[in-house]
Amino acid sequence: MTVEAITGRYLTAEIAGRRQRIYFEEAGQGRPVLCLHTAGADTRQWRHILNDAEITCDHRIIAFDLPWHGKSLPPEGFQTEEYLLTTEVYMESVLKVAETLGLDRPVLAGCSMGGRIALQLAARHPERFSGFVAIEASDFQPAWYDIDWFHRPDAHGGEMGAALVSTNISPFAPEAERWNTLWMFMSSGPGVFRGDLSFYTRDDSLVGRLKDIDTAQTPVHLIVGAYDFTCTPEDARRTADAIPGATLSVMEELGHFPMSEHPAGFRPFFVDALARMQPAKTPEHAD
Amino acid sequence: MLEKFREIQAALETRPHLHRIGALFSETVLVEVDGEEIYLVFEKGHLVSVTPGPSKKTPWRFALVTDRAALEAFWQPVPAAGFHDIFALVKIGRARILGDMLALVKNLRFIKEVLALPRAARTEDAA
Repeated sequence: MTVEAITGRYLTAEIAGRRQRIYFEEAGQGRPVLCLHTAGADTRQWRHILNDAEITCDHRIIAFDLPWHGKSLPPEGFQTEEYLLTTEVYMESVLKVAETLGLDRPVLAGCSMGGRIALQLAARHPERFSGFVAIEASDFQPAWYDIDWFHRPDAHGGEMGAALVSTNISPFAPEAERWNTLWMFMSSGPGVFRGDLSFYTRDDSLVGRLKDIDTAQTPVHLIVGAYDFTCTPEDARRTADAIPGATLSVMEELGHFPMSEHPAGFRPFFVDALARMQPAKTPEHAD
Repeated sequence: MLEKFREIQAALETRPHLHRIGALFSETVLVEVDGEEIYLVFEKGHLVSVTPGPSKKTPWRFALVTDRAALEAFWQPVPAAGFHDIFALVKIGRARILGDMLALVKNLRFIKEVLALPRAARTEDAA
């Protein structure tokens, strides 16, 4: 029998003028690392990093469920709304969580749409963070599918979404973790995956901002899996090349949900990324 | 290739969970491999017939058009990137999916697992 070191609590913050009750989990002490889940999923994707004692011995790992996801309820009045995530609300959500928790310039680590918003914040609010780890992240990904498939009255959007995203899970992933990863998509709220994909597949506002990211002040490291066919290594390379000073690692045996689908395979890449999150030395202090 | 899909037909009969997942799937699917047509007739999650073409009179709901080498790579126990999934095959240009996409997506887990049954068998044989 074991009891994990992860603790879960709720915070309340006003985001876009509305009260949001947000669930977050954390473990460890030290440099704060704020972790963002993918579209259609939740904080459980980060369970293995949160439980990694060698990482949490000197990092405070924090992950939160965006409103509408996981254990964060939708806002009051949701029942008549169409959920559509936007860049502005997503950025404000991340900033408000960091502010409410009193995080001092955390590292921001996000996967997929979480990686996309991490790069947006690197361009627009770099002073609030000390570095950015953008996992399975790219400047823009138009949809090769119809996002409306995933919210319709005659079929289960979660099950269809899980079957779709299974395209992006590596065959090297342990079977149990493959299905744990898919379960989160199966159990997401109606229309939530679609609303996230609306942001992910329609908002191309990051493209022109990548050149503005100052990696001398806030390092940017991208990580991408070779089995990711939503954000391919070519997509990540194109994005990294557009950010002066950004670095990229390719994980040959992983897919689009690396921290969740294949924790052991992802771990060394994440540890390496955290080690890179140091500001560049000024010339007078260079070794 | 016809024999391979007859193996899939037999393997499906040993997978009760797929009969449950495919319980509402009763459609004809066309698989075209290097121009060889094979019609798969599903009835409530069972593959009731595997029939060679060509046929201009057999209606089908959706079709997978691919080549033999791509399918052989797809059925490897640990397929290379791009050959691990039918949508990935499409993305690398080794397959096309035609017809009623929504019918496919509504039954996507079932179809993906059925088409991958030779991989599952090889994986189990290796274990």
